[in-house]
Amino acid sequence: MITRPTRRGLLRGTGGLVAAALPLPALAQGAAPPKPDRIVVNASGGAMNSIFRRSYFAEFEKLHGIRVVDTSPVDFGKLRAMVNTGNPEWTVTEIGGQDGLRAKALNLLEPIDPAIVDRSSFPEVARDSHVFISSAYSTALGYRTDAFPNGGQPKGWAQFWDVKRFPGARSLRNHPTDNLEFALLADGVPMDKLYPLDMDRAFRKLDEIRPHITVWWTTGAQPAQLLVDKEVVLASGWNGRFFELTRRNAPVATEFTEGSLKSGCFGIPRGTRQAYWGQQFLQVMTNPRLQAIYATELSYAGLNPETINYVPEEIRPMLPVAPGNLAKQFWLDVGWWTENGAKAQERWTRWMLQR
Amino acid sequence: MSSPGASRRLAGRRRELALLAFATPALLLLGVVFAWPVLRLLSLSVEGGSLEHFEKAALDGLYVSVLGDSLKIAAAVTAICLVLAYPVAFWLSRAGRIGAALGLFALLLPFWTSVLVRTYAWLVLLGRNGVVNRALRDWGLIEAPLPLLHNMAGVLIGMVQVLLPYMVLPIYAALLRVDPDLSRAAEGLGAPPWRAFLRVTFPLSLTGVSAGCALVFVLSLGFFITPALLGGGRVVMISMLIEQQVREFLDWPFAAALSAVLLLVTLAIYGLIGRITRGGRLEAA
Repeated sequence: MITRPTRRGLLRGTGGLVAAALPLPALAQGAAPPKPDRIVVNASGGAMNSIFRRSYFAEFEKLHGIRVVDTSPVDFGKLRAMVNTGNPEWTVTEIGGQDGLRAKALNLLEPIDPAIVDRSSFPEVARDSHVFISSAYSTALGYRTDAFPNGGQPKGWAQFWDVKRFPGARSLRNHPTDNLEFALLADGVPMDKLYPLDMDRAFRKLDEIRPHITVWWTTGAQPAQLLVDKEVVLASGWNGRFFELTRRNAPVATEFTEGSLKSGCFGIPRGTRQAYWGQQFLQVMTNPRLQAIYATELSYAGLNPETINYVPEEIRPMLPVAPGNLAKQFWLDVGWWTENGAKAQERWTRWMLQR
Repeated sequence: MSSPGASRRLAGRRRELALLAFATPALLLLGVVFAWPVLRLLSLSVEGGSLEHFEKAALDGLYVSVLGDSLKIAAAVTAICLVLAYPVAFWLSRAGRIGAALGLFALLLPFWTSVLVRTYAWLVLLGRNGVVNRALRDWGLIEAPLPLLHNMAGVLIGMVQVLLPYMVLPIYAALLRVDPDLSRAAEGLGAPPWRAFLRVTFPLSLTGVSAGCALVFVLSLGFFITPALLGGGRVVMISMLIEQQVREFLDWPFAAALSAVLLLVTLAIYGLIGRITRGGRLEAA
């Protein structure tokens, strides 16, 4: 392995130089503001927070001696209200995948300080000035292995739409995001030509599958539950939920073909009192060893390229960012959805109400 | 001129003032943490003196039809609750001390569990392979599973279960105040029991019925997690659209306009229920 000089290493080096040149060693080290007794990290809750507790929270508490208090759920409206009233209670918060750029555009986030948070080895998409990409996940197809044994599951959305060849009750999310893409893919649009989405064409295609959708799901737990209860045999869903079932030996597996990749985001609410310690927390979140704990437990792998090396070999194919899976999927265009989301949602609700 | 009547009235007013003083902390709390934010929210809807958000709510068929559906669902839930709750309340009011205590305990038990947990419990009970369908199939009563979930039936079952106590309690309270001797007197004068009930007991319990109906109706309109989970996405209520505007699209002025419309409709119906039941009482008297 080639050791490249990291930006952090360089900075540390320059820090030393400056310290030698100036009689202000404490300042040159970037004198940290006084330590609070705690910071507040807001995230999705549930299984995720307990893994955070064991990885990022534990490491941060050990490194800095500051207690991490966790709250949930993730709530964009609340983030906006907090920042606008000038009293953010959160030091760091998770932001729903599609909302990262919107939060930045609405000036709700502190810029990420590259002198503290080192993402120099991360891929370009994960180095935004204000949004910290913590992990990647995918809306993929979950299926019952007893209904589709020996790799006989639908591969891609055209096959999901083929109810003759792949019979059985199905479930999709009660939301236009992902579904419009899936409909267009089913209709033969190639993955790299999806955007801008042709809504008319997507809704026409959705009309076809509609009678076969038993449940339009609302919460992330639903598709997994629906598969376990045999309410449906095929369901779109967040890959981590299916991963959990597979690991518990439920007859459920994930098909990544034409899955919709998204990133989990974190940010520091603008004006929060402990912004400096928020930056330090994000730096802890770049640690590949800790990212691997998270990836191994939940399959949501972080974007530090080193992370995959810390993940047990048998888990790697179940990660959406595993090299073989990555190529089969597309990245959701957050920009398109930020611009057109409200319009698409209105049309979706109208479409749902047609009888 | 100081007559005994006037001084009694004065004493009465003084007592009223004292009671008001005791109620002040609660009223202040409501004013500060409820009324003020609601007013602020409503003022958002007419931001810049423009009525465009109300125009959109009124002219776009989507919102009108969802509001109509919500009112229909709320009315159905209220009607089902009333039919189910009245006999329970009647029985509780006539049961002995132990019977009433046990009955009330059973009635209030679900309050100790969150609505979300109870909603998930219905998923387990009502599913295609759920407890209910499996039992019916094992007993040979049905061949294919009944569609109890992910449709309107599921939503109504779930909402009625959550809201039933809000109907039983006010009716029970009203029935407790009805002197059983009155219906006995009616029967003594030759009325058959059903007529004694219809002409004497029932009209006297109407205050409870109206309070219960108003409570259940208003609470129904605000439901969104139960219909979202049990309706399979096919049942849309206005509160779901408001929540969507607040949380997903951050269009708070439009959400405020929808809320204002919902509030006005609710108040109008609340007034209507009060008027109808008051009318009923006057007729009975």
